[in-house]
Amino acid sequence: MSDPHSRQADRSWRSTDISSTLAVTGFQLRRMLSRQRLLLAGLGVIFPGAVMLAVRRTVPAGLDRDLAVTMIYALVPEAVCMLGLLVTMCPAVADELERGTWIHVSVRPGGRRALLVGTYLAAVIWTSTVAILAAALAVFVAGVRQPWPLIGMLMVLVALSSLGRGALFALPAVILPRRALVASVGVALVVEYLAGFIPAVVNQATVSLRLRSLLVSWMNWRRQLPVEMQLLIDPQPAWVQITAVFTLAAVLLVAAVKILEYRQFPPSTEI
Amino acid sequence: MAGGDGGMIEVIDLVKHYRASDGSVVRAVDGVSLAVAPGEMVGLLGANGAGKTTTLRVLATLLKPTSGTARVGGCDVQNDPLGARRQLGYVSATTGVPDRLSAREIMRSYGRLHGLSEGLLVQRIDDLVRALGLTDFADRPTGRLSSGQRQRVSLARALIHDPPAIVLDEPTNALDVVGARDLLHLLDSLRGEGRAILLSTHRLHEIEHRCDRFVIIHGGRVVAEGTPAEILRAHASLEAAFFAAIGQADVPVGVPGMPGERHHA
Repeated sequence: MSDPHSRQADRSWRSTDISSTLAVTGFQLRRMLSRQRLLLAGLGVIFPGAVMLAVRRTVPAGLDRDLAVTMIYALVPEAVCMLGLLVTMCPAVADELERGTWIHVSVRPGGRRALLVGTYLAAVIWTSTVAILAAALAVFVAGVRQPWPLIGMLMVLVALSSLGRGALFALPAVILPRRALVASVGVALVVEYLAGFIPAVVNQATVSLRLRSLLVSWMNWRRQLPVEMQLLIDPQPAWVQITAVFTLAAVLLVAAVKILEYRQFPPSTEI
Repeated sequence: MAGGDGGMIEVIDLVKHYRASDGSVVRAVDGVSLAVAPGEMVGLLGANGAGKTTTLRVLATLLKPTSGTARVGGCDVQNDPLGARRQLGYVSATTGVPDRLSAREIMRSYGRLHGLSEGLLVQRIDDLVRALGLTDFADRPTGRLSSGQRQRVSLARALIHDPPAIVLDEPTNALDVVGARDLLHLLDSLRGEGRAILLSTHRLHEIEHRCDRFVIIHGGRVVAEGTPAEILRAHASLEAAFFAAIGQADVPVGVPGMPGERHHA
């Protein structure tokens, strides 16, 4: 049994960790309010709606609801979230090395952990906000019936996509900070879009399988799907899919934090 | 005093080797020992690539030593890195202060990284703004500040948690004469408060009359050390002593007549 002093110290350290992490999150979110990032966010919000508008104009009778939902799913929880996280999460360490702030964060107690987790939270908040606005705009532009339940579903998918893929991109960010963007694109293609579509055990550890399965389940598409397509989804209930995403995100993030805590960057790596 | 007891900052037989991209081993630091007592300012002198930055970064827990010991406030950087970080303020040549944030915002963010309570943080920021002369520009984005002002903000950031030990890696590099003089004047007052200061530089004229002791390193090794009086006993200036020391780095003698003379094979 631990003594009261060590318990007090533990509590104190936990609250310091939370405070440090939130400090980094706030710091990164303020950085993201730059003109360039806001312009990117605006493009991210408008792009899916613009695509839906273009498609809708080719179908005078109106878009089929299922087709519209499929397109919006591909454009927002998949494309916009992926691009948003590539922009915000991949440079988590490289940006600090380039700006010369890495050493100043790293010399603080728990600084590295706070840097990574705080940046992750900022990336998730920024990406989710952009993607939710994009989803809402796309749904209204597509003119689908009963838009609000659809927007609610897309919000959950966006949040899960951001949480899971943000953690996935944390690994290249800490292992290959200078080439994190290229490595993350590779990870996205190989893990999410190649392994994720292989109907075998390997795809159980992908976010794309979980999101697809949730979409199929919540849209009641399972019976309509051809047998070969049913191999690409997981029939387990929604709570299992959501728990799987959270577990995957936690495991990936802990691994990234551990790697970052042991990483050493010689002075020559700061340019 | 190198490696002696009672140092707020202690480095004992520190070795740090890197593996270069071509597979060869780079001996960045090869057996450096030094110590800085509370209320003492020590100048770590050396040319580019001498091993100054690597030594300081090991002290700051940014790099792990290959062998040897480094301690800050008695906390070993390997066994108790959190303890060492709590007692250390670090200032680098590149200030790394975000352009769009003000000095107060930067201090607040970094103070929260140390888990300072809101009340203590506000008090500490006000104290630093006054002590470091930031009053006129504390609420201005740092991107609009001069190099000297930005370096002061960097110093304020390093002092936000009131550390007893301060390590500065070529802090005057980007500063003009006035900015460098002001910064060094601030360091004088911090030493007067009892803080241990380890300052690396290759701008010898700036610190010739400011440091209590000098440690000269070359090729990753200490080649001379001593008080200004000891260093200048055999040489007309610190610069002359410095060149004499690094000129003799390859032979088994240090600066003639200096205590703490080191011998290297």
